[in-house]
This record gives sequence, structure tokens and C-alpha cells, in this order.
Amino acid sequence: MKRFYLVGFALLLAFDSLNLVCFKMAGTHALPVETSVAWLGRVFSHPWIYGAVAGYVGAFVTWMSLLKHAPIGPAFAASHLEVVSVMLLSWWLFAEPVTPVQIAGAVAILAGIACLAIAEGDAEVEPDAVTA
Amino acid sequence: MHGLVLTLWIANVVLDTAGQLAFKAAAGDGRAGDGLARWRYMFARPWIWTGIACYVAEFVVWIAFLSLVPLSEGVLLGSINIVAVMVAGRILFREKLSPLRVTGILLVAAGVAIVGVGS
Repeated sequence: MKRFYLVGFALLLAFDSLNLVCFKMAGTHALPVETSVAWLGRVFSHPWIYGAVAGYVGAFVTWMSLLKHAPIGPAFAASHLEVVSVMLLSWWLFAEPVTPVQIAGAVAILAGIACLAIAEGDAEVEPDAVTA
Repeated sequence: MHGLVLTLWIANVVLDTAGQLAFKAAAGDGRAGDGLARWRYMFARPWIWTGIACYVAEFVVWIAFLSLVPLSEGVLLGSINIVAVMVAGRILFREKLSPLRVTGILLVAAGVAIVGVGS
């Protein structure tokens, strides 16, 4: 089960990041933003938007597979690891600034997920009530 | 916060929580089996469609919300959803909330709020 969660959340993070980066690239390539058919045409004429869609589909399939076993409360919280990866990627790929306060927030998120991972190890002895 | 912003925010929390619970109800059904058969089973029942409908509606509400409120405040308020889903999971699916789990979830919620404040 530990492996299941590790692979599941890693995949979820990968698909979410793919989605985000592709959306950003699709938006950049389609500038200037207009509420027009021409703008939509520009968005969909670059391959980036299809990468974003693939990210959505992949993340959805991964999430539904994780939820087969994962309790929704802790899993939904853990899925916010995405906030940290978005921050790192936007800093690394798009040179967007990261503030010290944001780093403090990221550390709190990581600490929370570490707690959830340890709690999950304990929960294997004493599983959740069956939901079916 | 004026009326429309508050209404949109509450709609966002409700739709996000309801959507996640619907997805859990679909995915956690032990009779669904495995592999492709599981997906066929899920798509033949209303829960997964309820979740998808909530997400489409939430997307619209979120765009409207962000047109009135800066993104950082949006992220800040979004951290409430984490706590809402935790409480709902406890009530509807009887999920165990050990002190360590609650600590972890609250830390993540606080972290998301701090990221919102800091941007």
C-alpha cells in the first residue's frame, strides 16, 4: 500500500505539473489575450494545449485510482503538494519570483504531508471503516 | 467582503467538497472491480458524473470569484476547502481522524494559506 500511494501521488504531481506548464506555454504562445475566435484559434493551433488536456485526463485517472483506497480527507490535503511544485516550476522555468513567506508556506505543506505519510504507516495496522 | 464575493466563495467551498465526496463515493465502491471493468462500472453510475458536474460548475464559479478577488486571496480562502473535505470525509465515510492525520491536514491547510498571503 505504501508503494501504491508513493507511485500514485508521484504520478498525480507529474500530470498536474504537465497541465500547468502546458497551459502557461499555450497562453504565452497565443498572446495577446482576446475574447475572440482568433485567440481560441491560436490557443488550439499550438501543441501545448493538448499537453494540458493530457495532463487533466492523466490526473483524473490517477486521482480516481488513488481514491479506491485512499481516505478522501488526508488524500485531498496531500494533493496540495501541487502548490509546492507549481511554485518551484514557475521559479525554475518562468523565472517568477518566490518570496520568503511562500517558502515558509511550502515548508508547512511538506511538514503536513510528512505527518500524513507517517500516519498512513500507522493506519495500516488499524484501517479506516469500509466505505462500500 | 461584499455579498457577491461571499456567495461565490461559499459556492466554491460547497462545490469543491461535494465534488471530492462524489469522486470518493464513485472510486471507493468495492463492487466496481478492477481495470477497465471498474471504469465502465463507475461511468454507468451517477457519482462520477456528479463529481464532474461539480467541477465544471466550480471552474465557472472560481473564474468569476477571481475576477473580483486577487489570486493570492483566492488561494488563501481555498485552504478552507481542505478542512471542509476532512470534516465531510469524517462524517460521511467515517474516516479515522487520528491526531497525526489532523495535524498533517491542518499543516497543509495553513501552508496553502501562507503561500496565498506571501504572493
